[in-house]
Amino acid sequence: MTDLQSATGLKSQKGRSLWADGLCRLRKQKLAMLCFVIVAMYLSLAVFMYLAETFQWDIDVANWSEEVGDSYQPPTIKHPFGTDIFGQSVFRKTLYGAKISITVALCASLISLSIGVPLGAIAGYFGGIVDEIIVWIYSTLSSIPYIILIMAFAVVLQDKTLFGVKLTGITAVYLAIGLTSWVGICRLIRGEVMKRKQSEYVLAARSYGCPAPKIIFRHLLPNVFHIVIISFSLRFVSFIHAEVILSFLGLGEANRPSWGAMINDARIELSRGVWWQMTAATIAIFLISLALNIFGDALRDCLDPKLRTQ
Amino acid sequence: MVNDNKLARYDIDAIRHCRFDWMINKHGIITLLLFASMIISSCGKSPQDNGTQEMVLYSALPSKIRGLDPGDIGDVLSATVAGQIFECLYQYHYLKRPYELIPQLAEDMPEVSADCLTYTIKVKKGVYFTDDPAFENGKGRELRAEDFIFAWKRIADVKYLSKNWWIFDGRIVGFDEFREYTKSCEKAADVDYSRPVEGLQTPDDYTLVIKLTRPWPQIIYLLAHQPTAPVAREVVDYYGKDIVSHPIGTGPFILKTWHRGSYIEMVRNPGFRQQFYPTEGEPGDAEAGLLADSGKRLPFCDRIVWTFIEEDQPRWLQFLLGKLDSSAIPKDNFAQAVDMSQKLTPGMKERNIHLKTFRDPDTFWIGFNMEDPIVGKNKPLRKALSYAIDRSKSNELFSNNRNDLAYGFIPPLMKAYDPNVRDIGISYDPQKARQFVRQAERVHGGKLPQLKLSMPGTDTLSRQMGQFYQRGFEEIGLDVEVEYMDWPTFQDKLKTKGAQIFSLGWIADYPDAENFLQLFYSKNVSPGSNNFNYASDEFDKLYEKVITMPDSPERIALYRKAERLIIEDCPAAFLFHRVAYVLHHDWVLNYKPHAFQYGLSKYRRIDLEKRGAYKELLKKSR
Repeated sequence: MTDLQSATGLKSQKGRSLWADGLCRLRKQKLAMLCFVIVAMYLSLAVFMYLAETFQWDIDVANWSEEVGDSYQPPTIKHPFGTDIFGQSVFRKTLYGAKISITVALCASLISLSIGVPLGAIAGYFGGIVDEIIVWIYSTLSSIPYIILIMAFAVVLQDKTLFGVKLTGITAVYLAIGLTSWVGICRLIRGEVMKRKQSEYVLAARSYGCPAPKIIFRHLLPNVFHIVIISFSLRFVSFIHAEVILSFLGLGEANRPSWGAMINDARIELSRGVWWQMTAATIAIFLISLALNIFGDALRDCLDPKLRTQ
Repeated sequence: MVNDNKLARYDIDAIRHCRFDWMINKHGIITLLLFASMIISSCGKSPQDNGTQEMVLYSALPSKIRGLDPGDIGDVLSATVAGQIFECLYQYHYLKRPYELIPQLAEDMPEVSADCLTYTIKVKKGVYFTDDPAFENGKGRELRAEDFIFAWKRIADVKYLSKNWWIFDGRIVGFDEFREYTKSCEKAADVDYSRPVEGLQTPDDYTLVIKLTRPWPQIIYLLAHQPTAPVAREVVDYYGKDIVSHPIGTGPFILKTWHRGSYIEMVRNPGFRQQFYPTEGEPGDAEAGLLADSGKRLPFCDRIVWTFIEEDQPRWLQFLLGKLDSSAIPKDNFAQAVDMSQKLTPGMKERNIHLKTFRDPDTFWIGFNMEDPIVGKNKPLRKALSYAIDRSKSNELFSNNRNDLAYGFIPPLMKAYDPNVRDIGISYDPQKARQFVRQAERVHGGKLPQLKLSMPGTDTLSRQMGQFYQRGFEEIGLDVEVEYMDWPTFQDKLKTKGAQIFSLGWIADYPDAENFLQLFYSKNVSPGSNNFNYASDEFDKLYEKVITMPDSPERIALYRKAERLIIEDCPAAFLFHRVAYVLHHDWVLNYKPHAFQYGLSKYRRIDLEKRGAYKELLKKSR
């Protein structure tokens, strides 16, 4: 090999995997990296709030229920987003809202992926009657308007007990979102698997007598996983929006602050000139939506071979 | 009147201008389109403004109404609308306070036998139902005494499923047996309404005799209560179940249009008998101009339009635009309308808006289920919860300090209200509450488990109130989970005794404290009106004694004794009695707030000139 290299004058070039290549491309996009930092901050904030609540840390910023002043105090340096009807800091509520939204989006994403990905792969690989049944199920589900479907699930699941666990507040919300939003990813994976099931590596695995589940989960899924990642990042933001909508409609978390509930409260407060609660929740949603969208787009550009331009 | 004529003339002028344009403009198609659009905008009729000089009353309804069949009316909104169409034997005097009953469809007040068990009521002659295809030749027939008995038998009929049987339950001789008989009928059509009831007799077409099982002084109030209004059998037979949309009564107005979820329109009943505006009221009424129309024939208005507007803000803005004649003040607009001294703000005064306040006959509370093993058996716990609620703060946050704080269940509006109840009632005292928590823990035999508060609503206000109570309870070391549910779920929970702690209130049906006492009577436990499932022999004996007593100082003393008993046993933490703040424009005349506000539109008059002037005022301010 060394002789051949010296003979041809070529230097050894180490091959890069799809992921390494994608990451390398992503690093070059400064805006995407900034958005990634923002998303990471939101995630860290959610984790911090979760830990502070679980271990009852005595930290001011995590204590959203503390009465810090009179009701409806406008923003000051001490309380950047003012206070609400009970004199609670709107800033702290906004921070806490990140925990609710991120938890819902994360859990709902995991639920929807764990339903959509295997079903799509099975439908795409086996085809025939299996495919028809799965396509029929998701076609029926997708024919119902999305928000109405989520609302119906949320209403039905609210206060129900599932395997001995009572579905209150956000549990019902992320279950409702997760159980209703797997159709898109299912379609994508189905199409991708249909395309790849005639590839050489699949045919080779089959000729070696590899069983179907192993071909699907060991060989096919890892090769289409970049689609799952891209879909996850783009869906994450729509799940945050769904949580906000459900909370706004009174179907979300009732006893703890969430951005949707804050907007719902602010709706009637606006007429008395209390704009800060609406503003705080809107800024929080705007920032994470924008960051996730830009980051998701950049991720798709980097990971999808068809979209690679550089 | 004058200004509305002007408006009509403007419309005609607009059309003339269009014609002129048409003649001189050569671009025919464009002009035609313009002309058509102007014709449409000029001539388009909406319930809000039809451009005539009619006297129209514009109101809003905050939610849809269930139906207009008097026998099944159980909510305030339906009763408010149906009250313009249906009349009862008696009505409340519009101006006199305290509230006084006067005859409406009855000729006079009832003749009561010496044993207080027989009531003889003469029904007015010459009262007609409004014309309707249900009657022969479409002409409304004269009201007869049997129309009352028919209406009441419908309420007794279990197949009809009226929610108003409580009115007559156990009160009239032979009426419970009639109800039992209806249970034995297979189908609704099998029920024979001509089956006699011993306690309901009509010796002639204009005489009604009611025989009671025991003295019932409150019957007179129930005879002024909407569900006891007469119903013509022909109308029920003609419309069947669709009668909810075809209310045919004897009142001053007729239903013209009911676009469900949009608006309700009523027009004056041309065949309404002669009825006149009261000639006397309470001191100050004459000075307030409320007797200016004394002796004039009712009703004054030609039409009433109710628009369904669910949200507070659009309703408020419609009022400010002059498209509604009166409005309550939304919580978040209170400062815009009323200043710190509870007077109108200059902005409202400039618009010639008037403020009226009045006490509602109601009480709101946090109730405890006395059959619950934790709360029901632990009086110190109930007391701790009662002392933990900061009523003043709640009044400030949620009601702009409008309400009266409650110490007992009898509202200040009632004659039986005890001015000294404050001394024995419970008010916010977290120190005392903590002491009671310690006692409660001793009674319970250890740390108290998590408690559950049920709130009747999932809206923002319910949620905020729930959080407020929760914070108060947490402050004294109690762990309370709040669950929010819609009204039907909440009702189910109460009826099945499933709510441990709940937020509720009661609006009196009549101005007698007995209406509140029955809420604690052991025979009324859930699914009855005693949602506390409270049972006390001492209270029951008091209640049974007091309900047969006529109005007297002794009865008032017993009412107050019963109230003290309840305060001591603490099946509820009493919170507040509402004080209503209502705004109306200056063009609405004869506007006097009334706690039993059903069928009052007939007294209202509109000054069309002032209404027109308001439109000009708005134009100038823009």
